[in-house]
Amino acid sequence: MPPALLTTSLVNTIQIGSLYALMALGITLTFSVMKLPNFAHAEYATAGAYAALIVSLSGALNPLVIMIAAFFVGALSALISHLAVFKPLEGRDVSFYTLILASFAVGLIIRYILFTMADYFNLFDLRIAIPLRVLFRDGYLILSNLFAWVAPTSLVLVFILTLLLNRSPLGREMRALADNINLARVIGIPVERVKNYTWLLVGGLAGVAGALWGLQTAVHPLMGWVAIISVFAAAILGGLSSFSGTILGAYVVAFSENTVILFLNVNYGVDLAYKPAIPFIIIIVVLLFRPQGLTKLIRRAGDLGR
Amino acid sequence: MITIQKLTAGYGKLEILQDLSLTFAERQFSAVLGPNGSGKSTLMKAIMNLNTVFGGSIQLKDRELIGEPTEAISRLGIAYVPQRENIFAELSVLENLQLGARVLPKRERPTALKALQEIFPILGRRSAQQAVTLSGGEHQMLAIAIAWLSKPTIMLLDEPSAGLAPAIATEVFRVLQALRQQGMTLIVVEQNARRVLQYCDYAFVLREGMLVFQGSAKDCLRDQETIKGYLGVH
Repeated sequence: MPPALLTTSLVNTIQIGSLYALMALGITLTFSVMKLPNFAHAEYATAGAYAALIVSLSGALNPLVIMIAAFFVGALSALISHLAVFKPLEGRDVSFYTLILASFAVGLIIRYILFTMADYFNLFDLRIAIPLRVLFRDGYLILSNLFAWVAPTSLVLVFILTLLLNRSPLGREMRALADNINLARVIGIPVERVKNYTWLLVGGLAGVAGALWGLQTAVHPLMGWVAIISVFAAAILGGLSSFSGTILGAYVVAFSENTVILFLNVNYGVDLAYKPAIPFIIIIVVLLFRPQGLTKLIRRAGDLGR
Repeated sequence: MITIQKLTAGYGKLEILQDLSLTFAERQFSAVLGPNGSGKSTLMKAIMNLNTVFGGSIQLKDRELIGEPTEAISRLGIAYVPQRENIFAELSVLENLQLGARVLPKRERPTALKALQEIFPILGRRSAQQAVTLSGGEHQMLAIAIAWLSKPTIMLLDEPSAGLAPAIATEVFRVLQALRQQGMTLIVVEQNARRVLQYCDYAFVLREGMLVFQGSAKDCLRDQETIKGYLGVH
């Protein structure tokens, strides 16, 4: 494979992998704390992207303002979906499958609310209007100011999230809920409040991920939905329980979708159109052979990531 | 003091306790005894609002507990140590203890954690370890310590000696006795009647959801017929 292609694909791996990590950590956290594989997570990202787009179109071009707007809208959509749908369902003690289907339904509703809005205001395939600047150029490899935003922001947020989970009292309570929710109740942890904070956090991070996504491609009502299978593949690689496994999983998926497929294309003539199949293959292989995900492998290697 | 009147409770639609009335006295170490399925654990869960209560009343010094959320009951000073899954296994020992102390005002937490070292010295040495790696006895001590840290006035323990080697079970009961001497009200559910009767003050015997005997531990021990008849121990 030509070195320039390889470098470009590795840069994409880092960029896309960081975004996957940001979203997949939310999936893992929701699954651990709420026992819910939430497919509506995709739409929190899309909602965040639209918030970022609208704020940027209205003239606020400060990336920080844009990200905060995205966080806020993502967080709010997550909290509302919890309070309006998931919490009442949990109260009725419905089965796990009902919750999964409900999460699809919530996703569908948000997605088509966004479609309607995008249609009305003609907001399809627009890029968040931060001016583009080329920072670095070497043959095929072009690094813009967007790259300088996307990967570092994701990495910093992933770092802050891990710190919050492992070092702060709220994070400790979230992990306590994930571990043993009945005991958490018994010792007086305000379970519903911790759940609300968790929803705000995962929704907000998804929103920021969506905005960062919209920076490098374009904002569309289907953008979150298109990414969700890859994001789930990353979370499943983390066993839906391990944060370090999920982060690693995100980069594995991104690497497979960018570098591996390119390698197969250049050397064996595999068509690049097979790229969307990669996350499905990863999910099936992991669930068949290693349903606990990468966690144990990492622990064995000495990293005591939770 | 917890006063229970005409309590009918169980799980889902199943009624296990029938019209049960009894009073747990303040600053006493009470044991609730009885064979499997007699409703001992059901009673504890009913106090904590963790199952279904069909009727009756549970009062903590004139305050009705039925209908209160579990978190609120715990904040009234009643701590509950379940029989199983009574620690946060994936968290470190220290994190378990910090969660136990979280209901205390911030400035009291360090003192409480320090005082804990005297009652449960082993936990101090294990603080960085993941809780799941503790031995059976240490695990049980941690569960009791989590409950103790919230400075409860009443502690409910569901079979604290289950699955422990005799020497370690004795150790657990010694700790409970020490807590009782500090002025705590203890209510302990046990299958192993003989051992707990050596440590507790008062005993209730349940059978098929009804109270069939109550009296001081001494009476209960003296009355061999009670033990044989109701508890099936020899």
